[in-house]
Amino acid sequence: MRIFITGMGIISPVGNGADQTERSIRQGHSGIRPLRLFSSAALEPLPVGETDLPPTAETVPRTHHLALLAAREALGDTGRTPDAIVVGVTTGGILTTEENLKSGRKDPSAYRYHSVGSVAQYLAAELNCPGWLITVSTACSSGTVALKVAENLLRTGRAGCVLAGGADSLCRLTYFGFNSLQLIDPAGARPLDINRNGMSISEGAAMFRLEARLSVPEGALAEIHGAGLSCDAYHPAAPHPDGRGGAAAMAAAMKAAGVTSDQIDYINLHGTGTIHNDLSEAKAIHTLFRGSKPPLSSVKGAFGHSLAAAGAIEAAVCTLSLQKNLIPANVGCVTPDPALKLDPVRQVVESEVQTVLSNSFGFGGNNAAIVLGRPNGLPRSRQPAVCAPLAVTGSACITGAGTLAQTLEALSQAADCRGILGTAEISKSLSPNAVRRLQRLPRMALTLASEAQESAAAIEVPAAVVFSTGWGPLSETADILDHVTNNSEELTSPTSFVGSVHNSPAGQIAIHFQATGPNVAVAGDDSAFEQAVITAQLLAADMAGEESLLVVGADEHHEALSPLFDPSVALDDRRSDGGGALWVRKAGPASSVYIDAVFYRQAQKNPGVMSALLETTGGRERMMQCFGVLLVGMPLAQRREAEKQLAEVLSFAQGKIPVVPYREFIGEHASASAVAAVLAVECVRSGRLPVGLCDGRPVILEGKGALVVGLGKTVTALEVLAG
Amino acid sequence: MEALIQELKEKIIETINLEGVVPDDIEIDEQLVGGELGIDSIDVLELVLMLERDYAVVVKDRELGAKVFASLRSMAEYIQEHSPRAKG
Repeated sequence: MRIFITGMGIISPVGNGADQTERSIRQGHSGIRPLRLFSSAALEPLPVGETDLPPTAETVPRTHHLALLAAREALGDTGRTPDAIVVGVTTGGILTTEENLKSGRKDPSAYRYHSVGSVAQYLAAELNCPGWLITVSTACSSGTVALKVAENLLRTGRAGCVLAGGADSLCRLTYFGFNSLQLIDPAGARPLDINRNGMSISEGAAMFRLEARLSVPEGALAEIHGAGLSCDAYHPAAPHPDGRGGAAAMAAAMKAAGVTSDQIDYINLHGTGTIHNDLSEAKAIHTLFRGSKPPLSSVKGAFGHSLAAAGAIEAAVCTLSLQKNLIPANVGCVTPDPALKLDPVRQVVESEVQTVLSNSFGFGGNNAAIVLGRPNGLPRSRQPAVCAPLAVTGSACITGAGTLAQTLEALSQAADCRGILGTAEISKSLSPNAVRRLQRLPRMALTLASEAQESAAAIEVPAAVVFSTGWGPLSETADILDHVTNNSEELTSPTSFVGSVHNSPAGQIAIHFQATGPNVAVAGDDSAFEQAVITAQLLAADMAGEESLLVVGADEHHEALSPLFDPSVALDDRRSDGGGALWVRKAGPASSVYIDAVFYRQAQKNPGVMSALLETTGGRERMMQCFGVLLVGMPLAQRREAEKQLAEVLSFAQGKIPVVPYREFIGEHASASAVAAVLAVECVRSGRLPVGLCDGRPVILEGKGALVVGLGKTVTALEVLAG
Repeated sequence: MEALIQELKEKIIETINLEGVVPDDIEIDEQLVGGELGIDSIDVLELVLMLERDYAVVVKDRELGAKVFASLRSMAEYIQEHSPRAKG
């Protein structure tokens, strides 16, 4: 099985489309200019990378527009339609949200494209892609992590053709956030230069059509040989000073690709231009590339740092490098910093390029590296990997009723577990100094992580951490958006900015456990947790089998923002939040309960979605044989659509399988399905349902499993079965 | 200077939410960043904002920040020298 890039699209500050990008690279052109997109009274415009975005009649946010332009170029007019989308996004529609807040809009429909997950949903709707949709949000490594997740979807056969990449637009949150961290170079980014003084943030998108094939398809642009992920588990924002995590990601990518360091013809550096990133990355390079180095450069002096798009844009630059035998210049570097002991390429060079390595590092110590090669280069065919169900060895949840034990107790008393637990209650087992800078969501995540480990009686460090959230750390985001609303952006708190990225809770979990393996945050409204489960299964496909993985999904209620962003919260008079965590491994002890994310499709323009669900879960007969209960999630705002779908679910169940609408018990929040999955595991483990879930009737599962179904805009299914 | 030092101790604890630390725990010449208080680069940047907001003192870059936030004494001296509203 080999994975090929068969289409590519790119838009960045140096040009729109692959041809213009190539011309700019040949000319060493830089796209960095003083900011024009928005203004601030308190701050002189800093140099940024703005794209020349063609005007459109669409009313979607800038990120969505960028992503669609790149996607259309990648897919062209011919060729295969992707059956899945994996896209890296950090801020979603926040630029539009900022403008809405400034003009005082209170109507939730104005915020319908706010979520980072809405970019993939928009692409799916425009391009008629049914899904999987996976939105990776690991800050500045998102684009490369998305390519890794897409690669594994293909290698495991869960998809045959994937649209993958990254997109982010400039916005006030990141502009003033990085300014508060004093990480923006007022002279424009000069990566690796002795006088470098920070980055230039920018925007853009790059998307790829990826296909799994046994041999080189016609028109293939490049081959993905392998990718590697790691986490520093060191600090929320600063890289490890010795480049420990960066070296681990590069080593993992080269090992997966089956290449040695002397086979790399070009390294595309993360090279942001901050003092610490470039030092740390240089040390990582010296760890793996002893003696003479391959030609290397950072393109961020020309392209700027487009955050979630950066890894994808740089993979596009690497693809051009392979296609055209071109090594791009490290624009902005005049005198290399002798402390780095590296000699970046300062003028574009034409030279034979067979294999390249590209690095992306981000907040949360989140690192990714990818090895790409010429499609007609050395075939490095690998065995197809298996995306297997995961054995659950421990679980935890937080609901309005409390912990998992308290939640089960409430449900057995026929009470529900909606509501909001106090933040002090959530943090009671956490060390006050360790969480002094953390608000509600990371505290939930840390508590869930420790309780899941305790429940598994595990002493090992999880080999991978996957975190999901519908809406991200809203308390931290609100701190920043308050300054935006009050025109005091220059007072943006660095702590809130670092905490506002969707993967910050995942980074905290990594630091807590010293978990240096892959650390992936995914996001996507009401089905974020389903994305987390499949992502964990895809990461486990790379593992031998004995390692543990931790999957955590959580959302916090925020009084101002939740009703604005989440239409189901807006419609409910009861406020709820919480989440769930599963401690899992590929193969568990004999009596294990297994979880498998089997289905994830968009319902829009897809009238056969429910028949497809039935088919994927094995038809009516298997449904009767295997499942003793259906836990069904119907988000309040999608009730009409969901009820029609429910009628079909009820016909599958034929009145013989109890159907439990779980949001009535758990409440309206984006991570309700994480709690439902944990409850499903507990029901299957104990062989019965708490009486509260079924109108007071006792339900015995008799060895059968539970199917957790999500309805509405996205139809999902998690199978929970006894081993 | 004494009053400013005392005021700064309280503001530091409040700004960066130091748990279980009282003003008397912070010594005037103690190393602030990377010392026993557990103050790191993000905390320093919060203190930069606090200086700007409460004393109208701007610490523009990390290099200067390293000098200003070396200790309580260096902070107080810098404020006295540069703030239009520094107290005794």
